[in-house]
Amino acid sequence: MSQVAADVPKGGFSFDLCRRNDMLAKNGVQQPSYRKTGTTIVGLIFKDGVILGADTRATEGPIVCDKNCEKIHYMAPNIYCCGAGTAADTEAVTDMVSSQLQLHRYHTGRESRVVTALTLLKKHLFNYQGHVSAALVLGGVDVTGPHLHTIYPHGSTDTLPFATMGSGSLAAMAMFESKYKEGMTRDEGIKLVTEAICSGIFNDLGSGSNVDVCVITKGHKEYLRNHLVPTPRTYVSAEGYKFTKKTEVLFTKITPLTKKAEVIEGGDAMEE
Amino acid sequence: MEAPKTIEHQIGGIQNDALRFGLHGVKSDLVGAHPLESALESAKVTQEQINRKILGYTYGSAFPLKMDLERQILSRFQRPAGPIPSSMLGLEAMTGRLDDFGFEDYLNDPRESETFRPVDTHHAMEVRLGLSKGPVAPSFM
Repeated sequence: MSQVAADVPKGGFSFDLCRRNDMLAKNGVQQPSYRKTGTTIVGLIFKDGVILGADTRATEGPIVCDKNCEKIHYMAPNIYCCGAGTAADTEAVTDMVSSQLQLHRYHTGRESRVVTALTLLKKHLFNYQGHVSAALVLGGVDVTGPHLHTIYPHGSTDTLPFATMGSGSLAAMAMFESKYKEGMTRDEGIKLVTEAICSGIFNDLGSGSNVDVCVITKGHKEYLRNHLVPTPRTYVSAEGYKFTKKTEVLFTKITPLTKKAEVIEGGDAMEE
Repeated sequence: MEAPKTIEHQIGGIQNDALRFGLHGVKSDLVGAHPLESALESAKVTQEQINRKILGYTYGSAFPLKMDLERQILSRFQRPAGPIPSSMLGLEAMTGRLDDFGFEDYLNDPRESETFRPVDTHHAMEVRLGLSKGPVAPSFM
């Protein structure tokens, strides 16, 4: 009877073109390569909660394609998640898990826990064996206190008092390892996170632009978008910029097309 | 990953839309197009087996058997093939899929596929009753 249930087609990953691509590659067609990704994302635990930080540069290979993107994603009212790796993947995975958490909250009627989000994320990423390239820093405060985790694209996780991810992780970790101490205040924490992100912005080519910070405490969160703008635009042409004249509209007469109804055989068996 | 997952194809022979599906072969049907495809499939199966085992240990071995019966009944409970797909509400409530939300629920929905064709109800019913061959919805990707 198992094939009866298979009647209902499901979406998900499509592997239609894999065989074709395999064959083309074997016949010597150059496959397009992956684009290098670059990001600095960090997180730390302070006295009353968690602080997450991220830069705002999005790159596609050597080109900066967005100077002010958002890398701190919403998961639940008390949980946020920074994403590094393929932008679409981090966004899709965090959105999907935030929907799962919402469903879970409807089901249980309680605040989501950070470990729930962690388990859902790592289970998903492990199932896809690293093909969903999302490296995440997950932080939040729940009934059991503040939590900070890092999740690697293959589904392995770490639980740490301070964490960094992305290509600028080494630069940011240098700041954390020299200056982090336990029981920091909110302002000290924000300052250290900002310093770590700035270290990524100035020393890593894949990271740049502004600093986003998200402070999560018990029952409260604060999303400081563009908390610091360390590299503002320095030159703007004094006489402004001229653009070529746009295409002129010559006339606006609209000719309505005749409607053509088409009856499809076999699609309306339900109506009587 | 013990066996090589790439498939050696013989050029020539039956070429049925080879650009899309690759060259047809029994082996390629068995192995699957991509290692991830079989990994996802086997992960689902192992998860189900683990769940069965846990239920068996907790409630006794009759419980998963009874659930299997219910699963069979509920998976048969469907709409006639047509424009509205079966929601399989009962089955999803029993398996716990109802509280789940994954890629298969919103990415690459077959009904939004560019090769979508309305299902032929008569053909679909014949397939379901075992009178005819082939998938119920042949145009779904």
